[in-house]
Amino acid sequence: MEPMLPESGLEGRNRLRQDLAGWLWVSPWVVGFAVFMLVPIAMSLYYSFTDFPLLEGALWVGTDNYRRLLGDADFWLTLRNTVIFVGVSIPVCTVISITIAALLNRSRGRDFFQAAIFLPSLVPLAAGAIIFSWLFNGEYGLVNRVLATVGIDGPPWLLDRNLALPAVIVIGVWGIGQAVVLYVAAMQDVPEQLYEAADLDGMGPFRKFWNVTLPMISPVILFNVITMSIGAFQAFVVPFMLFDRVKGGPDRVAYFSTHYLFDNAFAFDRMGYASALAWVQLLIVLAFTGVVFLVSRKLVFYRGS
Amino acid sequence: MVNDLASIAGMTRRAAVGGLAAAALGFVAFGPRGGKERSDGRIVLDYWEKWTGLEGRAIIRIVDEFNASQDRIWVRYFSTSGIDQKTKVAIAGGDPPDIVGLWNPNIAGFAASGAILPLSDLAERPEHAIRLERYAGAMRPMMEYKGKVWAAVHTGGSVALYCNKAHFREVGIDPETSLRTIADLDRANHLLTQVEPDGTVNRVGFLQSEPGWDNYHWGTFFGGELVDGESNRSLLGSAENIAAYEWVQRGARRFGEGDGIPDADESRNALLRGSSFGQLQKFRSGFGNYDSPLNAFLSGKVSTVAQGPWLANVIQAYRPDLDYCVVPFPVVDSLVDPEHPRGLVNADVLVVPRGVRHPEACMEFIAFTQTQRAVEYLSTVHCKNSTLADVSPEFVAGHANRGLATFAKVAGSSNAFRCPHTPAWMQFKDVCDTMFGDVWTGKDAAATLVKAADAKAQDVLDQSAAAGRRRGRA
Repeated sequence: MEPMLPESGLEGRNRLRQDLAGWLWVSPWVVGFAVFMLVPIAMSLYYSFTDFPLLEGALWVGTDNYRRLLGDADFWLTLRNTVIFVGVSIPVCTVISITIAALLNRSRGRDFFQAAIFLPSLVPLAAGAIIFSWLFNGEYGLVNRVLATVGIDGPPWLLDRNLALPAVIVIGVWGIGQAVVLYVAAMQDVPEQLYEAADLDGMGPFRKFWNVTLPMISPVILFNVITMSIGAFQAFVVPFMLFDRVKGGPDRVAYFSTHYLFDNAFAFDRMGYASALAWVQLLIVLAFTGVVFLVSRKLVFYRGS
Repeated sequence: MVNDLASIAGMTRRAAVGGLAAAALGFVAFGPRGGKERSDGRIVLDYWEKWTGLEGRAIIRIVDEFNASQDRIWVRYFSTSGIDQKTKVAIAGGDPPDIVGLWNPNIAGFAASGAILPLSDLAERPEHAIRLERYAGAMRPMMEYKGKVWAAVHTGGSVALYCNKAHFREVGIDPETSLRTIADLDRANHLLTQVEPDGTVNRVGFLQSEPGWDNYHWGTFFGGELVDGESNRSLLGSAENIAAYEWVQRGARRFGEGDGIPDADESRNALLRGSSFGQLQKFRSGFGNYDSPLNAFLSGKVSTVAQGPWLANVIQAYRPDLDYCVVPFPVVDSLVDPEHPRGLVNADVLVVPRGVRHPEACMEFIAFTQTQRAVEYLSTVHCKNSTLADVSPEFVAGHANRGLATFAKVAGSSNAFRCPHTPAWMQFKDVCDTMFGDVWTGKDAAATLVKAADAKAQDVLDQSAAAGRRRGRA
């Protein structure tokens, strides 16, 4: 082991210069992050303890906003809707995207299909919502036209309280391209020897998928589940565009937390209350992510661990 | 040699960093910015307005005329979507436009918080002052809040009933003489509605859910009000409002239950009973956007619709051959008063945000928009009735809206209905919209839902009042 030598003054100055140069080079990002993220985050925390109608100054009200939130029926309604949406859409999207990735993994023309599946995720959400509002149109929509060819009288998807939320979930499935690309890449990375060993053990395709592929791509599944869940907790654009006549659709089944937050901030002039909602939403997402991480300890396998 | 190279590289890096920093500082200090200076020294005013397309071009022409009419002020027009929300953010951020075109229900909230300036204090010259007596009766209260004038109305409209005359001819009813009461409307609705034996809905005479913009105004046709401004009490739960929303609910439930209106052979009721609310919703799902040929009234899916004068422009654009007339919206028997019809009145208003640098220049432009010529030009292109008390014969003669007389009569009526002047209006409206949706889908009995909404609306008003008291407002 080499003995530790004291830094000479020259070396110290050089190191300081290097550090300063480093900070200088990253300063655009640091300053941007501080000004546009850190300060607003800190301010929203402060505003969550105030009565702040946006057009007037903020008045300190202590924990009033958080206490009012407990008795706010709309908060609980939107939270319930959001949890249902996350609880249904994430498993559905995950299963479908893994299935598609598995089909693509060893198929010909993989690159083409991968690109085709990825393409919809490049379409802006607002444009996608408008496209789907026409696809789901009860009278003229393509979905009902297709159903009619097999003798099914399609329902008014977006005006039926039982179908409005599934329609939003289907639109979510349309945007799974990114997840599929990641799953295909992960599947490509599974060592071939494992499949050969599985063959020697006499495993069929399904058991190989269950016992080899899924465990090997489980870190990617965890990543996708967490990122998609965070996105789903913040769902706003699609239901906002889809149900522009009746907020949240029939019986407000698609009135989500972020939409309620937006209403309070910009329509109801309650920026303080909206800030409290945002912080509660953040805590819920953090708790959810924490639970997913805890559960993942037994389900996710990291190579080399 | 190596050290020399290193030092040269070091110098180069320092020079690069220094150069970048200098460039960044220079950009911040001298870079492009939304400057408001003109080389001719004119005062530049930014004007945000909600209109686009045909309506936008009309106001741009007025702006251009103003700019050409004098050499002291230059107005820049910005078409802005979501204008009320963006204006709030701009005012809160300390960089507001100079003039904004809002809607009349916005005034109370903006005025109460001091976000806009009272126009009565701004005019430096008498000819720029806003004189309320110039405006149509129903317009005046919309410009005021707590005894001050805060806004100038540049266009406005009232809501009345558009009727497809061809449909009415089919069932032998003259809408211009026979639609006075709610019972008349129900009877016409019964005859105009077409349902197939398999329950498929082909046409509906009248739908309370169409276009779904003003779900709070049905009570006025039954004698109801929404808020008692003096006591800050919600009146949503009144017997009149409950009756109105029970009628709304019957409008949906008749598909599946029938409407009970006697037929010669009961066939229509049988067809209605053979249909369902689901069939009605499927029929509704085929309605297109308001400003499109698939608009339910233009496409003939509904025979009548409660709408403002602006719909005439859409008719002109997509169905110029449509034979229609406009009548005041029917009322319950006890309220029939042909000289003083009932109906919602609303207005587009110009306001001056706090923090502007040239309020007197803003008033000069606003005064220009309030001249009879400008108001009538804008109202003609927008297909709306004039907001002024005096109307020129040319305006009436050249107007393309067949319902002009009806809309003007409602706007001048002492029974005209306006949104309550409360800073909590957006929340109050949200409560009404939610309640309407629940009534329409039959979530519960209408009376139960209206009473629950009344309690919620009162809570909204109480919270708004408490917030006002915290800030020292009466």
